[in-house]
Amino acid sequence: MVYATYVIWSKHMTKFFRSAEQVIGLAVQSVLWVLLFGVGMSGFIGTVEGFDYMSFMLPGIIALGALGGAVGGGLILLEERLHGVTRGYLVAPIPRLSILLATAWSTVTKSLFQALLMLIVGLLMGAHLVVQPLGWLVAVVLMICFALGFSGMALAMAAQSRSIMGYHGMIFLFNLPLLFASNALYPLAALPGWMQTVVLFNPTTYFIDTVRMLVFGIPPTLPMALSVGVLLLFALAGIGLAFLSFRQSLRA
Amino acid sequence: MPDLAIDTQQLVKQYGDTIAVAGLDLKVAQTTIYALLGPNGAGKTTTINMLITLIPPTSGRALVGGYDVVTQAAHVRQCIGVTFQDIVLDPGLKGREILDIHGRLYRMGAAQRRQQIDLLVQLVQLEEAIDRPVKTYSGGMKRRLELARGLLTGPQVLFLDEPTQGLDPQNRASIWQYIRQLNQEQGLTVLLTTHDMEEAETLAQTVGILDHGQMVVEGTPATLVAALGADVIRLRGNGHDEGIQLSLQQLAFVERIEPGGEAGLWHLFVDDSSRRLADIITIATTNGFHIEAISVAQPSLGDVFLHHTGRALRDP
Ligand SMILES: Nc1ncnc2c1ncn2[C@@H]1O[C@H](COP(=O)(O)OP(=O)(O)OP(=O)(O)O)[C@@H](O)[C@H]1O
Ligand SMILES: [Mg+2]
Repeated sequence: MVYATYVIWSKHMTKFFRSAEQVIGLAVQSVLWVLLFGVGMSGFIGTVEGFDYMSFMLPGIIALGALGGAVGGGLILLEERLHGVTRGYLVAPIPRLSILLATAWSTVTKSLFQALLMLIVGLLMGAHLVVQPLGWLVAVVLMICFALGFSGMALAMAAQSRSIMGYHGMIFLFNLPLLFASNALYPLAALPGWMQTVVLFNPTTYFIDTVRMLVFGIPPTLPMALSVGVLLLFALAGIGLAFLSFRQSLRA
Repeated sequence: MPDLAIDTQQLVKQYGDTIAVAGLDLKVAQTTIYALLGPNGAGKTTTINMLITLIPPTSGRALVGGYDVVTQAAHVRQCIGVTFQDIVLDPGLKGREILDIHGRLYRMGAAQRRQQIDLLVQLVQLEEAIDRPVKTYSGGMKRRLELARGLLTGPQVLFLDEPTQGLDPQNRASIWQYIRQLNQEQGLTVLLTTHDMEEAETLAQTVGILDHGQMVVEGTPATLVAALGADVIRLRGNGHDEGIQLSLQQLAFVERIEPGGEAGLWHLFVDDSSRRLADIITIATTNGFHIEAISVAQPSLGDVFLHHTGRALRDP
């Protein structure tokens, strides 16, 4: 299974790097988001709890990037399904899960590139890194979990969609609210009570909270062990959901 | 391997109210080339899809290479090669990459992959195009690449859903030759569907005609044709259709008269066409049937098809 996943993953990456459109699109998008969100907002907010807004905001922008990436990953699966490429995998002697894992991993890989790029732009724009390589490593692992979880959800939808339009409709329902109903833009404590409860059901909150601490040294508002647990669970749940949805779609 | 490469028992596939395959018993012996014919919508592709483990049967059982397509799907996948009816290629990849990825998914070693790819690329005459992105290929080139892909992993049973549609006669002939060669030298079993009677006649040792999801008739092309009777006279014209049919039917030497699949066309099966032609023309003319064209032929597989499905090769 690992090998089949690797083969399909490398195919996705080949296609990605070959398409200048996609590579440049991803890069421009990353830079723009950091500039628009970060620079724009930090201009009139300045600092949050003593930290510059750029550092505060960057994890949220990276999360947003990963969300967008997950949508794109679902689109890849959907296109392969609609064009019949998936059929070729389905009759090959490989586990079905590897088809999904490969797509999810290629999404995660792109998200990691994007995160790195965003980080660099963010730093140039005045974010302050804390130097703790171990923390960075944990942050990368969390990033992978986070991206896997959302890829899984997007893949679950893509496995059921009958058209690209339908897929976008479904995606829209969950994409934007996830960003706003989180601590991406404001500190948790600044939110009204009911909103805090809503936000705690959103994995994005845990990701942002922990990455703020690990990479930028901003004190977390949630226990780190809880955040790590939630994100690991989220990754598993996302992939599990994608698998169930995909398997169900093959029973037609 | 068992004697039967493909063995289905009461195989059924139902989509809502549509019964695509209705209790099919398909037996394909080891090392034969079997052509599945049938009008559009007869259930050929649906049958293949079940055999290649792509869709589960509604009921019944199917074995490929001795393995059950539902409970031993992984084994089935290991021993089959497939080309789909529609083209399924990643347009952004180069031909060679597509073959290489395919070989890797089947865990072929690098050296073996390279060797097989070179061989097949030469066979399907894609040497010049193989390192170009597939989106620059013509339709026929894509088809040939797909064929190469189906053959790459050295399958024991090969499924070809309308393999040579859209190919020019030269490429068609060279593919036929290679399929036959693999069949003879390596004992490859092939199940193919086609609307091309010439393809079925030249390639297949056994032909099965499917209609409404059921096997209508099965046999070697020669026996199927022989069963039709002696000669066939094709009569085209206009006039009183039923009248002419009745009056010709009464002639002792006319075994059967069948509609030829389009308006004004009739097929007459007679004992000896060259001797009866004059009589037929006279009778038709005296019965007010204006003949536009008349021809004499040995029955072909196409006539067998018409006889059993009552339709032209493609739905009107
Ligand atoms: N996914 C599906 N959902 C609903 N009906 C289907 C589906 N696939 C096939 N059918 C129906 O099943 C029947 C058989 O279709 P199938 O594709 O097997 O025909 P075929 O013999 O391959 O025809 P052709 O020569 O046109 O390729 C048709 O009536 C078709 O409409
Ligand atoms: Mg078909």
